[in-house]
Amino acid sequence: MLLSFTANAMPKTTLQDSFRLLRQSALSDYVTAIAWSLDGAWFVGSSAAGEVVQCAIKTGETTVLLGDQGESVDTLAISADGQFLAAGGQAGTVWVWRLDKGSAALIEALEHSRVWIDCLQWNPQRPELASGCGRDVKVWDAADQSVTTTLNFNKSSVLDLAWHPSGDRLSVSGNQMIKTWQRRDWNEAPTELATGGVTDAIAWSPDGNYFAAGSNDRSVLVWEGGSPYPWQMQDFPGKLRQLAWSMPTKTWGAPLLASMGSQNVVVWAQDDDPIPELLGAHQGTVSAIAFQPQTSLLASAAEDGCLCLWHNGVRLVQTLKHPSTEFSCLAWSPSGEAIAAGGSQGELFVWTKTTPGKGFG
Amino acid sequence: MVATADRATVPVTVLTGYLGAGKTTLLNRILTHEHGKKVAVIVNEFGNVGIDHKLVVDTDEEIYEMHNGCICCNVRGDLIRVVGKLMKRRDKFDHLFIETTGLADPAPVIQTFFMDDEVRAKAQLDAVVTVVDARHIQQHWDADEVVEQIAFADVILLNKTDLVTAAELDDLEQRVRGMNALAKIYHTENAQVEMDALLNVKAFDVNNALQINPELLNGVTAKHDKTVGSITLMESGALDAAKLNAWFENLMAEKGPDIFRMKGILNIAGQDDRLVFQGVHMMFEGRKDRPWKADEPRKSELVFIGRNLGQMGLVESFRDCLAG
Repeated sequence: MLLSFTANAMPKTTLQDSFRLLRQSALSDYVTAIAWSLDGAWFVGSSAAGEVVQCAIKTGETTVLLGDQGESVDTLAISADGQFLAAGGQAGTVWVWRLDKGSAALIEALEHSRVWIDCLQWNPQRPELASGCGRDVKVWDAADQSVTTTLNFNKSSVLDLAWHPSGDRLSVSGNQMIKTWQRRDWNEAPTELATGGVTDAIAWSPDGNYFAAGSNDRSVLVWEGGSPYPWQMQDFPGKLRQLAWSMPTKTWGAPLLASMGSQNVVVWAQDDDPIPELLGAHQGTVSAIAFQPQTSLLASAAEDGCLCLWHNGVRLVQTLKHPSTEFSCLAWSPSGEAIAAGGSQGELFVWTKTTPGKGFG
Repeated sequence: MVATADRATVPVTVLTGYLGAGKTTLLNRILTHEHGKKVAVIVNEFGNVGIDHKLVVDTDEEIYEMHNGCICCNVRGDLIRVVGKLMKRRDKFDHLFIETTGLADPAPVIQTFFMDDEVRAKAQLDAVVTVVDARHIQQHWDADEVVEQIAFADVILLNKTDLVTAAELDDLEQRVRGMNALAKIYHTENAQVEMDALLNVKAFDVNNALQINPELLNGVTAKHDKTVGSITLMESGALDAAKLNAWFENLMAEKGPDIFRMKGILNIAGQDDRLVFQGVHMMFEGRKDRPWKADEPRKSELVFIGRNLGQMGLVESFRDCLAG
């Protein structure tokens, strides 16, 4: 299927809320990941120098959870109950901190030799952490602070993982394949989906009805309602590096799927016109995409120093420009009131929502 | 097909060579020479590089087969993951070195730098450098890796020349030359070589003029090695573009796995510019080069390195591409 081009939408003045820069701080190397606390009072950022730093929004105060230890920390996640923070990276260690009233105490450091931890994700329903360790996935339970199970993906290194929103199953992607394990019995053989490529990105829609996989052969597959037959979309502008689902939109009740590859973002929905739309505003490699929680406002950040906000995933409504920055990651606060983004020089930015006539921050 | 965009990219040198050939000695020599530059090194065998102030990343070789209708197209998943991350670092690197294991197939390493858009945007292969133990290679000719590492090379060091006689070295050079008509060959002791021979070679730059040793022109194949060798083709008549396309398409589809490297300059009928191309297995890139000069004889020259080339009828089928 060929992609249709939308005209490069010019930023329009709107009466909607817009975002303005609240504050800026810095890490020692490019920012690899950002994760927000549940109440949006602070976030943590990690860097290629190996730092994990907590930043308070109101005061700007920073707390170093992990110093510049030389090996990149590449992934961060805060548990659904807000009680735990996990981090992993090239050192092969999975760190877990217990969070209490904004302060973090390290409670676990699971070490693995000769693997990189590229992905980890908390079960959306309980404090249970899945992390990709080489060809295995380790599931660690915060309740008894032990590894519950080790799932062997086997086919290749684990490239991405995704819990179903119900928390009852875990999908794992790698070369040529996605395997899904049922939580009720980890020993049960996983179901397998062939992808025909190296699948770097997988994602469940928030309503749990759609599952998408993006691969290096420039294709996206979408399975709906457990059907074994996916929608197949091909000829994307680059290998797929990240996928993001919105909440179901009011207009047609289906969620939007945004995907990122090369310098482009492509948005698709199973609506009257299920042709993917290519958002061509960025002039550099797109580094991160994310929908505002509970809405279909899409944020995309790129190495061109632009963070673009797209209404309904397609109409450009605001561009936050920092020409001297190459954006490397972004994350919405859980309420959607703020966005944090990281840059290639270690910059950390926070923008907060302002409504015309009202000051904020 | 691959296309190279003009962009600021970090040069990448791949060091190959069978076990004990002297790769690590060479790597340390290069790193000493590159003192003061920002260099990253990717190794597959940790513990054998003693380098201070350089970033060394140890990876486990992981091959991904690309199922894009191209059976010989494999890439290195570990390199994709690590190169992408290295290149995003705040301190931009001046040079990236990849030291493969003695048993590594060089093709997936090379193909990674063409097939993966994220890697391609940040890094560009400069050259494949292969170190050969001039004495002990005689015991290893049966190993496919030894032969492939020579066949894929842009620069070959015949190392440890102090352990062989002049006649033995001469024989070895002829044998290596028969397998790879494109590589520059140097004789070394302790991997001592001028760094200009190894760095900024730009061997994968399609604009870099093809340099073939004139005495190798027209159909010299390997004397010793019946399977892996080089073939050079030369025609002074102009080529028919459509016939040539069909020829390449067929050749890639049928024989891609057996063709390791190819390079050439082509004289196309009705075109004032030279067409230059290069390829690795089924990956192929070509582009218009400069116009032919008035005093320059228009001719097409191609070099193929691969397996069983003698049975492909290349000389005849290429001649069929002549216009008119």
